Amino acid sequence: MNAPDNLERRARELYREASRRIDPATAGRLRAARREALAAAAAPAHLRFARMLVPAGAFAAIAVAALMVFSPRDSAPVQAPGATQTVEATDGDLPPDLGNTDPSLMQNLDFYDWLATNDSSQASR
Amino acid sequence: MESPDVRSDEPDDRAMNSAVSTLEAELLANDAQAVPTSLDAFLAQVERRAFRLAEMSLGHREDAMDAVQDAMLRLVRNYRDKPAQEWTPLFWGILRRRIVDLQRRRKVRSIVVGWLGGGRDDDGDELPAWEPADNGPGPLDRLQDSQSYEDMAAAVRKLPRRQQEAFMLRVLEGLDVAETAQAMGCSEGSVKTHLSRAMHNLRDQLEDWR
Repeated sequence: MNAPDNLERRARELYREASRRIDPATAGRLRAARREALAAAAAPAHLRFARMLVPAGAFAAIAVAALMVFSPRDSAPVQAPGATQTVEATDGDLPPDLGNTDPSLMQNLDFYDWLATNDSSQASR
Repeated sequence: MESPDVRSDEPDDRAMNSAVSTLEAELLANDAQAVPTSLDAFLAQVERRAFRLAEMSLGHREDAMDAVQDAMLRLVRNYRDKPAQEWTPLFWGILRRRIVDLQRRRKVRSIVVGWLGGGRDDDGDELPAWEPADNGPGPLDRLQDSQSYEDMAAAVRKLPRRQQEAFMLRVLEGLDVAETAQAMGCSEGSVKTHLSRAMHNLRDQLEDWR
């Protein structure tokens, strides 16, 4: 048992022989893989950093596109509080929040316009 | 995820490792190879054996090629500044982890194929686990030695993973106990025990080799 038995010796011989006997195509691919690995490591650091930027840029572009697609379109534009007050002060006839106004009120705008005109002309008399 | 260390308490551990050491000494005397001074030379020396070892574990040439390619890339990228004496256990350790990754990925793929209904045929009988197609040369192309190698590879493939690793690194690749332990990420005692059990199983499977 102390001497290497047949199994160990034969196993290692077969393994070494099989490694020597690798077909030329596979051996060529292994050589190419080795050269590629050595070349990749030899590439300057800034090139490797640039390679990392490509997926990061792609991720950022996807995130922006997702934001544009899924952002709510009918939300009211953001305005400074002062600007809102100015609009309300100068044009008090319009509902303050168009987005939340009952749609039925928006159907007969001509009628409301005529009513307002008549009302103002009677007042001036 | 490594298996826990096991105690080296089997009676034939010492004899087994002594036998492997003798074989190692003989091979070293025959090879008398100096440690390569460049990574290129080192990888050129081990690439074919690494391919055979990965192929033996994975049973698939393309996966084996991927594993070796990735191991070479990681060694060069992360450890090129290490002393040349450390490359051997580092390389085999990286390759071992790549092989384990590929085996796990294949297992997941097999489960997914099963979920999608690929695991059963039209009669509802279970199909064999999904395996990628291997376009390597068939058994008829192989010579008698190749057939013996295939028998050994098949027997090694049947071993539990840790026994496989101990046998391949220690007996086939000829790493010493400390290097094997480093590559396997376990204690030297565990290496001896896994190897002893591997040899016991292989002797049972390859009886006609005695």
